[in-house]
Amino acid sequence: MKVTYNWLKEFLNIKISPKELAEKLTMAGLEVVSLEEAGRDFVFEIEITSNRPDWLSILGVAREIGAVTGEKLKAAVFKEPKIKAKEINPVKISILDKKDCSFYSARLICGVKVGPSPLWLKERLELLGCRSVNNIVDITNYILFELGHPLHAFDLDLLAGKEIVVRRAKAGEKMVTLDNQPRLLGNDILIIADKDRPQAIAGIMGGKDTEVTFKTRNILLESAVFNPVLVRRARQRLGLQSESAYRFERGVNLETAKAASLAAQELICNLASGKPCGYKCPSSPKISGAMINLEPAYVNRMLGTDIPALKIKKILSGLGFDLKMQSKNRLVVGVPGFRQDVKLPIDLAEEVARIYGYSEIAQTLPAIKPNVNIGGKRDIVPQIKNVLVGLGLHEAITYSLVDRDLLKKSGIKPDAQSVEILNPLSKEQEVLRPTLLPSLIRCLAYNLDQQQEYVNIFEIANVFSYGKGASGNPVSQGAIRPGSVDESLSLSIALCGMHSFLTRQGLIRDEVTILHLKGILEGLFNKLGIRDYDFRAQGERGVSIIVNQQEIGIMLNLNKKVLDAFDIKNKQVILAEINLGKISAFVNIDNKFSGLPKYPAITRDISFVVKGDISIKDLLTVITGKGLPLLRSAEVVDYYQGKQIPEGCKGLTVSCVYRADDRTLTEEEISLLHNSICSLLEERFSIKLR
Amino acid sequence: MDINLIQAQIEADLSNANSPQALEELRIKYLGRKGLIAELTGSIPALAAEQRGSFGKEVNALKNRLLNLLNEKEKSLAGDSLKPGNADVDIGMPGIAPELGTVHPITRIIGEISTVFNHMGFCVLEGPEVETEHNNFTGLNIPLEHPSRDAFDTFYLKNYTNFLLRSHTSPVQVRTMKKHKPPLAIVVPGRVYRPDAVDASHLFMFHQIEGFLVDENVRFSDLKGILSFFLKSVFSSDIKMRFRPHFFPFTEPSAEVDISCLICKGKGCSACGRKGWLEILGAGMIHPNVFKQVDYDPKKYTGFAFGMGIERIAMLKYGINDIRLFFENDLRFLKQF
Repeated sequence: MKVTYNWLKEFLNIKISPKELAEKLTMAGLEVVSLEEAGRDFVFEIEITSNRPDWLSILGVAREIGAVTGEKLKAAVFKEPKIKAKEINPVKISILDKKDCSFYSARLICGVKVGPSPLWLKERLELLGCRSVNNIVDITNYILFELGHPLHAFDLDLLAGKEIVVRRAKAGEKMVTLDNQPRLLGNDILIIADKDRPQAIAGIMGGKDTEVTFKTRNILLESAVFNPVLVRRARQRLGLQSESAYRFERGVNLETAKAASLAAQELICNLASGKPCGYKCPSSPKISGAMINLEPAYVNRMLGTDIPALKIKKILSGLGFDLKMQSKNRLVVGVPGFRQDVKLPIDLAEEVARIYGYSEIAQTLPAIKPNVNIGGKRDIVPQIKNVLVGLGLHEAITYSLVDRDLLKKSGIKPDAQSVEILNPLSKEQEVLRPTLLPSLIRCLAYNLDQQQEYVNIFEIANVFSYGKGASGNPVSQGAIRPGSVDESLSLSIALCGMHSFLTRQGLIRDEVTILHLKGILEGLFNKLGIRDYDFRAQGERGVSIIVNQQEIGIMLNLNKKVLDAFDIKNKQVILAEINLGKISAFVNIDNKFSGLPKYPAITRDISFVVKGDISIKDLLTVITGKGLPLLRSAEVVDYYQGKQIPEGCKGLTVSCVYRADDRTLTEEEISLLHNSICSLLEERFSIKLR
Repeated sequence: MDINLIQAQIEADLSNANSPQALEELRIKYLGRKGLIAELTGSIPALAAEQRGSFGKEVNALKNRLLNLLNEKEKSLAGDSLKPGNADVDIGMPGIAPELGTVHPITRIIGEISTVFNHMGFCVLEGPEVETEHNNFTGLNIPLEHPSRDAFDTFYLKNYTNFLLRSHTSPVQVRTMKKHKPPLAIVVPGRVYRPDAVDASHLFMFHQIEGFLVDENVRFSDLKGILSFFLKSVFSSDIKMRFRPHFFPFTEPSAEVDISCLICKGKGCSACGRKGWLEILGAGMIHPNVFKQVDYDPKKYTGFAFGMGIERIAMLKYGINDIRLFFENDLRFLKQF
């Protein structure tokens, strides 16, 4: 909202410069976002928080300046003019529901000369960004800005039956508003109608049919209090914002409604030579301002201050509060009508703190009592991130909302389980993702486009799906879901391209394969203390990752269709996704130390050729099965296929480490065992030793 | 042959050898298959029987001594080889090591902030991203159909009434207070969502970190003290902090907190809009209505809460000028952190 320096000065003495004033307003909670010199005046643009409709006026801001600087407000007093009985024009007002409109007053002003506004009035409005229309409309706007209460002037002679009805619109009723837009109304919209039809949308905008024009002679000046929720709904339904709606939504008050009406009448009489010729106000609600008991000690306890009771009293009365009764430890504070935001003692404490100055309050450090039962558990997520970063991966963060096309492109069928957004602004906000993979594929494709040779990224984030309904079956599409949204933490890894690194032997270029991903996951599981894991090929589906006999995720090599969809050429993309919720039960990072071996280990290699279709895993299982307990580990240390090896076969070297806990093993013992392992392999898998 | 003479010769040769190559030549000269020691050993059978034993011992002693000398010299030469120009490795070559990955800058900032609060005794908690209308709004004293909601545009779920994507991390306050009794000292990082068109400073998803402390006798001055320590730890010990009155439905009194501009140090520049101050977080004393919703007695307990946008802090700290970079995940961006 905008206010001007000179206009403010009509309400009180200001002895500080506009710049200092801006600073003081900002520090009192009226953030001045810009201050501009305009002719002989200065325009302040202030951001007004939604709890302070009283600040949406020159008077309100002036009152605040008074509280801050100690200057007294010069409040104008308006008197109800006496109208001779024979001059009173008849007008009928009916309010159908008091809950929709708690107060409605109509002033009739006759014989007005509608014309252009005087220059000073035009200039004032223009400084505030308001276009001048004619003297009557300008005066209602002037009062709106000055006192904060929206008014509306109807052309009295155009109101059918000289009647005002405050009612809900009927379904299908229409009207054209002052901005020349036809509006379709409905039962949730409060309107001001005449005998026949709607003539204004209550609190938002008047109608074209009863607009004050240069032909107007007699006017009906409306000042009312409308239900803020109704104004808000109508504003949202019609997409129609106005200065008036802005204030009604935030809450106006009765006293100002009455004062504004009188002030406007006086100006109209002065500037447009009108004459009061009637005042109708069906009933005025009784208002009793709230009374709050306030202990100065409470204020100081909340703020950590030591502000004397007298100072507290002075601050509050400066803000317009009525300090009705006082004892040493207690104030009874009467809340003025324009401060509907103040309801509790804490609200008054804030008022004291604001004017006393937040910057005057000391900094203290509280004694914090940590609760080890809350969040005390070590979270595995930072550990996982550390391991993956140590293995060279880069963490990505992608949007949890995706467009359905991205899922389709990635080969994921949208189903009844996907969680859709009711009010997306664009396609990319349609669905809460059920998997991280599509986002990572897109991110990977983006990086390939940026000429990255090697992309190795991961993300840890929630994935979403609808939970099962009470019956245990997924709820059918379109129905209101009684269940809940399943939100579970997922880890996803994406690898692609040629990893090149320098060694003593020169540059090595290594194209990533699913085995690289397997290596990363093995490293991760080992670090997390997960012992029982396995990788099982599932054909088309890729490889399932098994922990403690349970599938906890998958690894896959992206198929050509998806690669094409993302325009990835001549490259393998390797992906994994793991449900972290499922593995967390098996994480054991508090493992016990096992003693260091006392006796030396001896290593024996087996080099052999075996048929290509025999799984290395099966070979190792047989080796370890036979070798236990002296065989401590059996690892593939070399692997080759090529010229020296018969076609359809592979050459392997397995390194076997033997050790006993209680003695040094002898050559004979090891040879016996090692040879028996070799024989078993020959027997079971027809290996040929080399 | 006089062993002593030979030994003197060896010592002289060795002291002149100044490179591994020279040393290797000496090794061949003395210890090679046709070297001096082999020659001496070969001459033993030709000696008189009574001389063989003592000469053999002398040759052996000479050989051992020679080996020792060669080893020592080798070590001292190896020591020299790190001197530039005197090495067989060009130290200008790249070092050989596995490549390290990176955590996302957002994760890094969350870690940094959490650590500061951990040191002060706060615990880190997280909450769900799909929230109830109650936890996101009504439980936080944000009534239905009230202008205070306008600050929180929110994504709602289709076919799932009263559920939404949280528009701030504050619902975790409600969740935690429902479950636990004070004292509480918690920080909550996480993703939040607001319908917004994407541009250099707006996204529909971003991160916040929320903190709150509830106990008996928590004061506004404590909030100032904690935030001052926090901001100085994260930014710099010489920054200034200022509290400005503001309005949040869930706190009273409420404040917006500014820090002196990191670039101009408060003089006013383009980064801070000539104000000298940067708005950094929102804070305040938890509203008694929030306590009532979770059955805390507002007469007994008081508390404060604060919240801030992680992206904004990361942008200020790292000098990033486009918020979209955080979610584009360009490796050339990620690798800088």
